[in-house]
Amino acid sequence: MIRLYTGSTHEPSCLLLFLFGLTAAQTSNFWFILTGFLGAVFYYSLAGLKWSETKRVWYFIIFLNTMLVVFNYFLSAGSVVQGVDLTHQHVLFSIPFIGLANKLPFFVPKPLIFSVESITFMITQGLRNFGIAFLAIPIPFTTNPGLMGIAFKGMGLPDKFAYAVDLSFRFLPSVTRDFGTTLDAQRARGFEIDKLRGGIFSKIAKLAPMVVPVVIGSVVGAEDIINAMELRCFGMGKRSWLTILHPRSVDRVVMTLTLVGFFAITLLNILGNFYSTGFLHVLHIQGIPQFLLP
Amino acid sequence: MAVTEERSPAKVWGIGVRQIVYMALGAALYGGLSWVTNVIQIPSAGNVSFRPAIVIPLFFGAVFGPWVGLFVGGIGNLLGDYISGYGVYWNWDIGNGLIGFIAGLAMLNTWGRYNNTRNIIIAEVFAAVGVVVGIGFAAYNDIWISKLSFITANIGELVPAAGSDLINGLILLPILLVAYNAAMRRYGRG
Repeated sequence: MIRLYTGSTHEPSCLLLFLFGLTAAQTSNFWFILTGFLGAVFYYSLAGLKWSETKRVWYFIIFLNTMLVVFNYFLSAGSVVQGVDLTHQHVLFSIPFIGLANKLPFFVPKPLIFSVESITFMITQGLRNFGIAFLAIPIPFTTNPGLMGIAFKGMGLPDKFAYAVDLSFRFLPSVTRDFGTTLDAQRARGFEIDKLRGGIFSKIAKLAPMVVPVVIGSVVGAEDIINAMELRCFGMGKRSWLTILHPRSVDRVVMTLTLVGFFAITLLNILGNFYSTGFLHVLHIQGIPQFLLP
Repeated sequence: MAVTEERSPAKVWGIGVRQIVYMALGAALYGGLSWVTNVIQIPSAGNVSFRPAIVIPLFFGAVFGPWVGLFVGGIGNLLGDYISGYGVYWNWDIGNGLIGFIAGLAMLNTWGRYNNTRNIIIAEVFAAVGVVVGIGFAAYNDIWISKLSFITANIGELVPAAGSDLINGLILLPILLVAYNAAMRRYGRG
């Protein structure tokens, strides 16, 4: 099984995810987004994740993305297309709908237009979001939490912050245990978190017996850790790490290609503003083939 | 014996062992409690969950300073998404970091002491501004990244997320501040 980004460090995957988002944000060209999406799918496949491991997350992502695209269409009354030239829209059909107006009652009947451009935009938007998800989901499934601190250090974070990241992962089990203990203790006193009564404000206030003991108990208990660290002169000298992560050749190639791709797309996007036709304008059009236009 | 309270920029902006430990603890608390409530989604267009845990970055920011708040919000959100398996969404991590950072600016006025109503109100005001700015940053970033329309970013993400966080945060923050104050008095540090 190839785990491209986690064998040594997760810097490549974070960089790829970050720059993929920034690159994809610069265009609504269907073909560019499709290429990025296929690249993301290939990258995801390298992680060797099984459907049984990730299906809960994927159900959530599919539901979320569908809601996002559909809601965006309806809330915008079909005017969804952004970042591309849309001087001649090819309308397929329209349905009666309501839209926003400048004066009272602010809602007026308006047709909801379905055009080749808007449908293409919705598909592109879905591909873009799924592409980001294909890069984002493998990180928690394939990265060893014990390497998080040193990986952040590798990404240029100061030692203190990197250690804090490391420490937060170590605190997590004890915080979860404290939460469980407090929940059991409060339940023994008749507190039922899943059966809170009253309005929304009352329900939130009633969560205090759960939140307050866990937070205050942890803060007070942390004093011992602070004292222990101060006694050991934490932060007085340069910190060394038990584990050292070495990027492999494949990690370096991925990072270089990601950076080159990002800068190339950014340059093309900037140049596209000065040209109205041709290849240099390609990021500013949707790239719909002529035969699909009515 | 009179105790002199430290009131210097270092108290607000300094990062020592105390701040490092509280950053880590806060992030773990925020991530852990968010994970518990991440399953409760608010009806909206985006990824918006009902999150009482939002009080954690607000509290840690207000008591231990803006850098602690920034870290608790940002890394805590990352941690919550990480253990939920949802992946990494950097614009929401930065947005949550901003919430804690801005809430932490209350320390410039309160010096981290919340033993009177005035200081608690100041913390509430900074917390409210932090929630609106932080969620606004993340939601409006989605206009650019996910190509949402302005109206969807507002109705679908900003209003439900900021609304829920404001209600949760502004109710739970004073309760936590009062409890923290009482605990510190009991341990002779108040």
